[in-house]
Amino acid sequence: MKKKKSFFNRFYVVLCLAFFYLPILVTMIFSFNSSKSLTRFSGFSLRWYSELLNNVEVVKAVYVSVSIAIIATIVSTVLGTITAIGLSRNRKVVRELILNVNEIPILNPEIVTAIGLMLLFSSIGMRKGYITMLLAHITFCTPYVITSVYPKVRSLDPNLANAAMDLGATPYQALVKIVVPMIKEGIFAGALLAFTMSFDDFVISYFVTGNGTKNISIVVYNMTKRINPTINALSTIVILVIIVVLVAANIVPDMMKKRGFSGTTRKEKAVVLVLVVVLLAGLIQCGSVSRQQKVLKVYNAGEYIDLSLLEQFEEEYNCTVIYETFESNEMMYTKLSSGESYDVLVPSDYMIERLIKEEYLQHLDWDMIPNSENLMEEVMDQSYDPGNRYSCPYFWGTVGILYDKTVVDPEDLEDGWELLRNPKYKGKIYMYDSERDSFMIALKALGYSMNTTDENEIQEAYEWLISQRDTMDPIYAGDDVIDNMISGNKAIAVVYSGDASYIISENEDMDYFTPQQGTNVWYDAMLITKDCNEVDLAHDFINFMLREDCALANTEEVGYTSPVQSAFDEMKEGTYEGVSSYIPEIDNPKNEIFAYQTPKIKQKYAELWTKVKAQ
Amino acid sequence: MKQFRHLIKPYAIWAAVMIVIPIILIALYAFTEEGNSVLTFAFTFENFKKFAEATYVNVILKSFRLGILTTLICLGLGYPLAFIISRFEEKTQNTLILMVTIPMWINLLLRTYAWMNILADNGIINQILGSLGLGQLSMMYTDFSVIIGLICNFMPFMIIPIHTSLSKMDKSLIEAAYDLGADPVQTFWKVTWPLSIPGVLNGIMMVFLLSVSTFVIPKLLGGGQYMLIGNLIESQFISVGDWNFGSAISLILMVIILISMGLMKKIDKQEDKE
Repeated sequence: MKKKKSFFNRFYVVLCLAFFYLPILVTMIFSFNSSKSLTRFSGFSLRWYSELLNNVEVVKAVYVSVSIAIIATIVSTVLGTITAIGLSRNRKVVRELILNVNEIPILNPEIVTAIGLMLLFSSIGMRKGYITMLLAHITFCTPYVITSVYPKVRSLDPNLANAAMDLGATPYQALVKIVVPMIKEGIFAGALLAFTMSFDDFVISYFVTGNGTKNISIVVYNMTKRINPTINALSTIVILVIIVVLVAANIVPDMMKKRGFSGTTRKEKAVVLVLVVVLLAGLIQCGSVSRQQKVLKVYNAGEYIDLSLLEQFEEEYNCTVIYETFESNEMMYTKLSSGESYDVLVPSDYMIERLIKEEYLQHLDWDMIPNSENLMEEVMDQSYDPGNRYSCPYFWGTVGILYDKTVVDPEDLEDGWELLRNPKYKGKIYMYDSERDSFMIALKALGYSMNTTDENEIQEAYEWLISQRDTMDPIYAGDDVIDNMISGNKAIAVVYSGDASYIISENEDMDYFTPQQGTNVWYDAMLITKDCNEVDLAHDFINFMLREDCALANTEEVGYTSPVQSAFDEMKEGTYEGVSSYIPEIDNPKNEIFAYQTPKIKQKYAELWTKVKAQ
Repeated sequence: MKQFRHLIKPYAIWAAVMIVIPIILIALYAFTEEGNSVLTFAFTFENFKKFAEATYVNVILKSFRLGILTTLICLGLGYPLAFIISRFEEKTQNTLILMVTIPMWINLLLRTYAWMNILADNGIINQILGSLGLGQLSMMYTDFSVIIGLICNFMPFMIIPIHTSLSKMDKSLIEAAYDLGADPVQTFWKVTWPLSIPGVLNGIMMVFLLSVSTFVIPKLLGGGQYMLIGNLIESQFISVGDWNFGSAISLILMVIILISMGLMKKIDKQEDKE
């Protein structure tokens, strides 16, 4: 009976652990995949490991994540433990107050804590980076330590410490020798939680960091647009390192015991000291940007550049580029309006219009950008910035429908956007989770302008989307649509032309078209901010990106359409021959560019879109 | 015992600057009108009124339903695990608890992506089913996929505090119960369970809070139509740019959670008295 039970127990433990490790196992297996796909294993290769070693960004991020997690864990464990002990000795009012305040960071959605801390750091004018990230991590880790340690302290007999002091121990001795050992499980659990929370944090880190300091999560988040197995390789290494450390931690003490070692407290202290010194050294090194070189801060969308171009630029112009990325135009605006400063920005048309209106930008000096002669005429002088006084095109394209040729009947394509309401394809559709693009589709399908401010037209579009939702069960996805369509998980998806080119190049079954009812033609462009410190260098950067070889390398890497004529022609006839999505269809007079929306209209759209999704 | 009283001072100052001030800043937004500048005060309750609409109330109800469901499943699966672990010898216990924790050191996004690949229509499970000649299961973008993701990510937060409570328990109490003639079931409910309540409450609180405010997991595993309160707040700050409304929702969420936690603490205290 007992044996049976113990077998069952072990089986249950193994089952639970298998559940926890299943996704990690998948991650590990696909780190050895020879192709980029995360669902189809096409062959064994170590390609991603060699790419990992060459990726300076990832290596730096590992250092930031690990060192911040360790320092934050140490500080918050000490701070949390002494606070928990102190709490039990205080009056009830004080205790309740502190405990309630302490719960706020645990209770609050991370995004709120993040915004709150961002506002705090901005309002006291702290330079964002390693230190602000560390302070934020200590702030959200300490409450977890307190909630783990405090119940232990509460269940402790207060007379024990008193007795120790009656017998002549100093308060410090009573604390370290009596109290702490008795609550050590709580401290250990708290420290473990703190480390875990810190190591895995994304949201808070993203909003409080700046000046190029990134942790692993931020790097991963920026990679999700084109999921990149290098990060799988990194996880595999992390897991292996942890296993080695664990095994070592279990075996080494045993061996030491056998050899008769004991009383290693002094050694332990020395180890801790060395650790702290190493971390501090790294911290200082990481925190200080060398002042001899000029520094250019560039803020671009994630996975939207050939990173080797940045190194090339640094070399040629003897400068340092701090390169940061955002997930959406709105995210960029949020950071910008919180007081973060950049030199060069690369947002989209409607956001450019807004930035111009709100006076974030300065005029470009086109004389300093001689390579602008390489630009195609079609992309210049658009409605978002007439005469290109502020902006220089970076990439451009359309929004359209990507479809699986093996599933979708070519005749159905003639319905244009109404394809998305064809009951034949129920449950097989990805919509793009953005109110602008979804309302654009509905408005175009109904024959209206996508920049309409007419309440009735907007209402009709809302009803179109609701009926689509009710009859078609579409999935509103973000950039994860790219990997999903490469794997062929659905038959139809609304995507940007550049992403379509990439998907088609990875999955031959897919094709792309822009409906005849018209679509959104969009432009992303480079801008120089008003508070730019290196105006000349910023112009050099723009000029560099327009150089024919650089533009070609960039469009080859990213897959979006280049505004530089020679690069465009070469891609059209070379790498992306036959990929229709690379050539934006701009002849359709029904196509439009997004325009600036007044806050009121913008909110109207946002509210309706929330309602569509949350029905 | 007054010697230790001052130990809370550093944290009191820290919390005032790093927790209270940001909350005040957020509250300022919640009660003011449009515009990302706090300098122009124009007080309003508009942001709170807006929330009373059926859509938003539904979002919050859905979040709480999902949060409670996830918490219950985590408790149901996590308690036995913590219990079994606490019966092993101490060294094995530490190793097992570490093994439960380690998955959380691998980036949450990556683990969620892995789940997408496992559950997708052309994913790993369906490929296996297909090669066995069985039909396709549609698992992605359902309650099932979201809950799987939530449990996998948050169950350790249930296991660790329960284990901490159980492992500290005096084992002679259980022996005493047996000696006095209690059967295993009685021993569990009369001795073990009451003693583990603090850990259970801690675990419930943590899992519930994490799952009620999450937004990355439902977004990826449930699709954009899986709108929870966390997604709503996130979108107000990131895509819509209405910080005022976003702040108001987070204040409302905070108040609701504070009330429910207050209720739970009352239960805790009653248990203490018994």
